[in-house]
Amino acid sequence: MMGTTIIENGIVKTLCRMCDNRCSIDVHVRDGNMVGIAPGEGNPSNQGRMCPRGGAALDMFYHPDRIRKPLKRRTDGSFVEISRDRALDEIAEKMLKIKDRCGARSMGIWKGEAVGFLQQEEYARRFARAFGTPNYFSNDSACYNGRFMGHYLVTGFWNPFPYYANADLILLFGTNPPVCHPPFMAEFADAKANGANLVVIDPRLNPIACYADIFAQPLPGTDGALAWGLIRHLVKAGEYDHRLIEHHSIGFEGVVDYAEKFTPEYVEEQTGVYADVVVNIARLIIENRPKVSFYMGAGLEHHDNGVNNIRALVILSCLTGALDIDCGLTWPEEMQRNKLTLYDELPLEGKKPIGADRFPVLYDLRKECHSMTAMDYMLGHGDYPLKGLIITAANPAVTNPNTRKVEEALGSLDLLVVNDLFFTKTAGRAHYILPAASFLERSEIHIDIKYQRVYLTNKVADVPGIQDEYMLWHDLAHRLDFGERYFPWRNETQVNRYILEPSGIGLEQLQAHPEGVQYRPLTFKKHLSRPLPTASGKIELASPYLKNLGFAAIPEYVPPYHLRERSGEYPFLLTTGARKTLFYHSRHQNMEYFRKLHPKAEVEIHPDDAAEPSFAVAS
Amino acid sequence: MNVVFVELDRCIACLSCEQACQFQQAERNRGWSPNIFVNVDIDRRRIYAGTCLQCETALCMEVCPVSALTRDPETAAVIVEEEICLGCGLCVAACPFGYMQIDESLGKATKCDLCGGNPRCVQMCMAKALHFGSINSLAELKRKQTDLRLGLRAVPYDEDDDQ
Repeated sequence: MMGTTIIENGIVKTLCRMCDNRCSIDVHVRDGNMVGIAPGEGNPSNQGRMCPRGGAALDMFYHPDRIRKPLKRRTDGSFVEISRDRALDEIAEKMLKIKDRCGARSMGIWKGEAVGFLQQEEYARRFARAFGTPNYFSNDSACYNGRFMGHYLVTGFWNPFPYYANADLILLFGTNPPVCHPPFMAEFADAKANGANLVVIDPRLNPIACYADIFAQPLPGTDGALAWGLIRHLVKAGEYDHRLIEHHSIGFEGVVDYAEKFTPEYVEEQTGVYADVVVNIARLIIENRPKVSFYMGAGLEHHDNGVNNIRALVILSCLTGALDIDCGLTWPEEMQRNKLTLYDELPLEGKKPIGADRFPVLYDLRKECHSMTAMDYMLGHGDYPLKGLIITAANPAVTNPNTRKVEEALGSLDLLVVNDLFFTKTAGRAHYILPAASFLERSEIHIDIKYQRVYLTNKVADVPGIQDEYMLWHDLAHRLDFGERYFPWRNETQVNRYILEPSGIGLEQLQAHPEGVQYRPLTFKKHLSRPLPTASGKIELASPYLKNLGFAAIPEYVPPYHLRERSGEYPFLLTTGARKTLFYHSRHQNMEYFRKLHPKAEVEIHPDDAAEPSFAVAS
Repeated sequence: MNVVFVELDRCIACLSCEQACQFQQAERNRGWSPNIFVNVDIDRRRIYAGTCLQCETALCMEVCPVSALTRDPETAAVIVEEEICLGCGLCVAACPFGYMQIDESLGKATKCDLCGGNPRCVQMCMAKALHFGSINSLAELKRKQTDLRLGLRAVPYDEDDDQ
């Protein structure tokens, strides 16, 4: 049997990482084998429940297809096993060659979703900085950053998720809770039991709409028009939080002026949502404000102008007065901790991060390069060449837009290193494939900013020859001569201690509390006693920062491409964001039971469209 | 005795219970049929979910010609003795709720056996719509919900209307 468990018999308590909700789980161990996973108690996020995705984590751990030895690609394209030391020696040597020939910035580091965020992400960012490249990439270019930016540009913080159960009205935009955030389900059910109203805005009809007082299906990517229509209604009716807007915001006049054209009729024309439905949604907001929860899902940021559409909704949320109340735009407080990113120590000025010229806000706010633009740099169409890439826990050959181009770009690299559990499509293009550790093989700090809790996950098993993420960066750094300086910790536990140092919370305390420790009590309405973390210290309904960069100061609505360029040749619109509960992004496609339920790729189509004679279905 | 029951108002039809049950069956080589069912009538915006109530007077047990259905002494669940079951389907016909079925791959009757006292579907219900408790607690829950709902929707009595 693969792997050595930390204990021979008993239960190891840790957090699941089959998705990013990080539910508490109990891993049952019998005679040195992990035999089952049950939900863990005491974590407010999962409340003693879990989902089948997490229940299948052992199938992932013990999967027969797991990569167990480092592999090197031969000239004929086949792979041969190689020792880890030799693989890392060769990788380091090739990285230095690229650095000598083209400069450090011609190496990129790409961290995927599968390994998580926080410290796993910070290792990758730290390593890139220490090597001297600003080119850190992640899946976030296509997902998450849009929402982060949409919130951050208005309030100066990213609102992790409201306490829905306390809301009188919940508005969901482009999200399907059972798939996206399973823990939300209990909160919605609680809110409903408390008599809350629900508005679901989604081009796709999901079962959550069974509970909606209003279900509206806008054309994909037109949420901004709806947001502006609602803003207009609130402003015209004088039904907004006057005190908040007057004393704690800038740019209201611009909002009032711009909202003018978004009459219910114009909104209907843009979104396809009937004018009277727009008015009814606005009335529900007015009736229930300020106890209104807005949640903008990934569905919005996957369209052009997505950031602005989200900004407009954040502004709407502020108008209702839901700023930093429990069910509204909660302003989370971070835990005092040591960060690993090296941004202050190594600012790396003037290195031209990829995409920062076209997408300056992305780089400014996220210190992250634009992964779609990276393909151009790999293919030699950038300001300088991107020659090498280390990819961990990501599969851009499947997940990044324009997959044919992505494959070509990855195939053109001088050095592609892929660290993964499985032989993915991306790994197939690699020069070196390194076996990655699963979440059950590491012990890391997790911070849940919604509940302001910190957790330590527990390692459940070791697999001989497989090292965790930290050791990958550590061992490479030591071969590149910045190990002593920037990766001095011998193992992840030492890193965990370093991260926690300023927090006043000890590792032992976290070990004794697998259900997590609250690092700071929750407080609300903080903006009344201190400035918001924006440049102006206020809600930025209009952004001076964006204006300086030459962008519109307020989140103007731009109709999506499919409306601007209506096509007779391609009359159907395909969106690719919808997922199945068992899969997570591109992950878990190789789990036997999951595939049994979803053996083939699935396309959902409206019955009316499917009935069109032009729509031929090939079996 | 404890049974699995659904607080329908909370079910968002994520289907995790069905999946959890299917995986559980597969794990134990007992076919691929879930023994808990979630039905979504999306056009009428209705969700209905349910599973075996482990009836005190279990018609499925009574009609079984070979006594393949027995009562688990520990959990009081009605369970199928697979070696004995012939797959005749009389129990399916007898169940007043439609919770007995024949697993096609096994050719045997299959039903909820409460996973030996720790139902996987309940663990996996993140909406907390599934409960594992006594049938009386279900009745109590229903009554509370009805009170709450009537309370929420009650129109205040207006004396003027009497005149």
